[in-house]
Amino acid sequence: MKGGLTFPGGVHPPEYKDLTEDCPIQVVPAPSQVVLPLSQHIGTPCRPTVAKGDTVQAGQVVGDADAFVSAPVHSPVAGKVKAVGLAPHAVLGRCQAVTIETDPNAPDDKAPSPQRFGADFNPETYAPEQIRQAARAAGLVGMGGAGFPTRVKLEPNPEQPKKVLIVNGCECEPFITCDYRLMLEWTDQVIAGVRLAARAAEVERIKIGIEDNKPQAIEAVRRAVETCGMDERIEVCVLRTKYPQGSERQLIRAVLGRHVPSGQIPPAIGVLVMNVATCAALAEAVVLGAPLTHRVVTVTGPAIGAPGNYYVPVGMTVGDLIEHCGGLTERSARVVLGGPMMGLAIADMTTPITKTTGAITFLVDRVVRGDRLARPTPCIRCGRCLAVCPEGLNPTKIAHAVMYEKPDLAEQYYMNVCMECGSCSFVCPAHIELTGYIKTGKILHARAKKRMPP
Amino acid sequence: MLSRIKVGPAPHIKAAYSTRRIMLDVMIALVPAIAMSVVYFRVRAAVLITVCVLACAATEWLCNRIRRRPDSLHDGSAMLTGLILALSLPPALPVWAAVLGSAFAIAIGKMVFGGLGSNIFNPAMAGRLFLTASFGTLMTTWTVPGTLGPVQTGSDQMAQMPAVAAANTLPNSPELQAVTQATPLAWSKEAIKGKSPVDTANRMIRPALVGQVGGCLGETSALALLVGGVYLLIRRTITFHIPLAVLGSALLCAAIGWLLKPEAYASPLLHLAGGGLLLGAFFIATDPVTAPLSHRGMVLFGVGVGVLTMLIRMVGEYPEGVMFAVFLMNAVTPLIDRLCRVTPFGGVPRG
Repeated sequence: MKGGLTFPGGVHPPEYKDLTEDCPIQVVPAPSQVVLPLSQHIGTPCRPTVAKGDTVQAGQVVGDADAFVSAPVHSPVAGKVKAVGLAPHAVLGRCQAVTIETDPNAPDDKAPSPQRFGADFNPETYAPEQIRQAARAAGLVGMGGAGFPTRVKLEPNPEQPKKVLIVNGCECEPFITCDYRLMLEWTDQVIAGVRLAARAAEVERIKIGIEDNKPQAIEAVRRAVETCGMDERIEVCVLRTKYPQGSERQLIRAVLGRHVPSGQIPPAIGVLVMNVATCAALAEAVVLGAPLTHRVVTVTGPAIGAPGNYYVPVGMTVGDLIEHCGGLTERSARVVLGGPMMGLAIADMTTPITKTTGAITFLVDRVVRGDRLARPTPCIRCGRCLAVCPEGLNPTKIAHAVMYEKPDLAEQYYMNVCMECGSCSFVCPAHIELTGYIKTGKILHARAKKRMPP
Repeated sequence: MLSRIKVGPAPHIKAAYSTRRIMLDVMIALVPAIAMSVVYFRVRAAVLITVCVLACAATEWLCNRIRRRPDSLHDGSAMLTGLILALSLPPALPVWAAVLGSAFAIAIGKMVFGGLGSNIFNPAMAGRLFLTASFGTLMTTWTVPGTLGPVQTGSDQMAQMPAVAAANTLPNSPELQAVTQATPLAWSKEAIKGKSPVDTANRMIRPALVGQVGGCLGETSALALLVGGVYLLIRRTITFHIPLAVLGSALLCAAIGWLLKPEAYASPLLHLAGGGLLLGAFFIATDPVTAPLSHRGMVLFGVGVGVLTMLIRMVGEYPEGVMFAVFLMNAVTPLIDRLCRVTPFGGVPRG
């Protein structure tokens, strides 16, 4: 099964998926305490709706906001609010969070329920607005990493009608297998969610994109699509395995052959992209009314004792998860929330898992280093970064403009079009942190813009 | 287990690539050409290559000391410059001249610009140009390969090249190891000027493929260079853009002359095999530092090198033009980069 569809540029990092691809999803029992950041999405952060000392039930809202672009946060456990205050956050550094001490006597019965969904599932019994409301009430956000509130995505816009729903089952990051296991084990639930999303967003066609290194998932999804009796509207697209195929813009390019205009989002060309995990969560939210309190996380890397795919309560700290997964067996060089290409290296093991954390990767020196002979050198202008940039940029020029504090020059080379996939840094023979510099440049640019008078 | 964790920007893994690996790959690709040069020019070749590599490395080390910069020998680029410079030198060049050329190549060609990555001109070509400008006679004295020594006077080879034999009245001395002769391109130039029949040049195609002709150390054997070039392409150390553009445009120019006036212009094959076109196309023009960044730019650059080379060979005064062509195109590389600015696939963002 060779995928023909692809996008220009990209790289082929080693996959390392064999560590966890055959590990079925395992339920992790509730930890003694969870830390729930109130900003786990793009948009307005939530305000806490509970105070210190309050008793909370499993699935109760602990933070919410009135803004449209936002998503509430729910407690995965029953227990007592221990603190409301700043806690470590993988992206923001620190942010407001609600810490809940789990009641050891409360029943811990949260488990995935894929068996509740069958091929005979009928999305017609749910009104589009009902689906969208359920997505909001359940606190759904894009679980692929960006964390865009699902309710906002699903809202039909008469000015930009959505025609195609592309379901993202690519999972192009090395090491990560959580979406793969989801497609394999919860196939019907995923398809149910896909059909609900299509109904809520009022799209005509559905395309499910899966990379050709997951033949079993392609097979399972194809079978589920055939049995659900909607196959003339749903098409499974086999894509060539290449990083960053799972990036929204590259996925659209591969599946539809069109580029989303720079600086714009997919609705600009009538496309809605949803991750398979989000679809599965949507099905649960709509049919079972279950809030998003747990997610599948791939705990992996050469340094972890028991790598696997775990059904983890949101808010569980990395430290607790390490303990549950057999501890570290080797000296770890980097602990990365997410995959090694785009994930964030963390130093604080009390950082909690959020709705957007698909993996924790425990890397060791030999994996991080690549070429043993390598030492950083100046840029030799080999042009490899230009050749692999999936957005067609000139990474070395942008990075060097940032390095030498020339923000205007960086802008001339379209710095803000960069989506920070890391392909340029990955191939750079001079071992320059191109992506790192570009990220810095973008942050400085955003700050400078804010300071300007309106 | 967590005592040594580090944070850093993503990505957290790297391809098994490095600047050193690239330089090493180019050196490996040069091995066939080095071997052939040692076969044909014996000790002279070995001495010149060793001297150039050592002199380049020493100069780089010294420059870093003077500039109080950390040592940069580990990237291997200085040694590679020495290797390429040596292979572009005539075998009879005295050792002191090679040392001088190497020192110029690294010190003036590279280090004064700021070292690796900052130089405008290919350092090896800078060194060679310096030697050509300073010691013209030494740089155009071509030794007949040692395997074509006096032993073979009157043999097949000599019969093949009557003009060579005529041009070199060989004393029958057993001590004589090598004699000088004109290169295939020199015969081609003579033919263009009408001073000798073009057949003399064209008969040298086959010897030039294996290397039994006069010329620079590394450029005598076309096949050895081709093997190295193919290795670089397979290893993806270089992309096909520059070599293809250089060779394609040069062959096209040569073919136009040959088809229009076959009695004056030598066969395109001679231009391919004799002289430095292959060395230039695969090893010199592809120097990443002095070539454009984008693929479009690389093609433009390569066509420039190919066309300029052939203009010099067919119209200009010099028999060989690769060095000048690369040098001139190096100078316009920043302009090409500006001309071939890449635009995002999604178009230029609005606002």
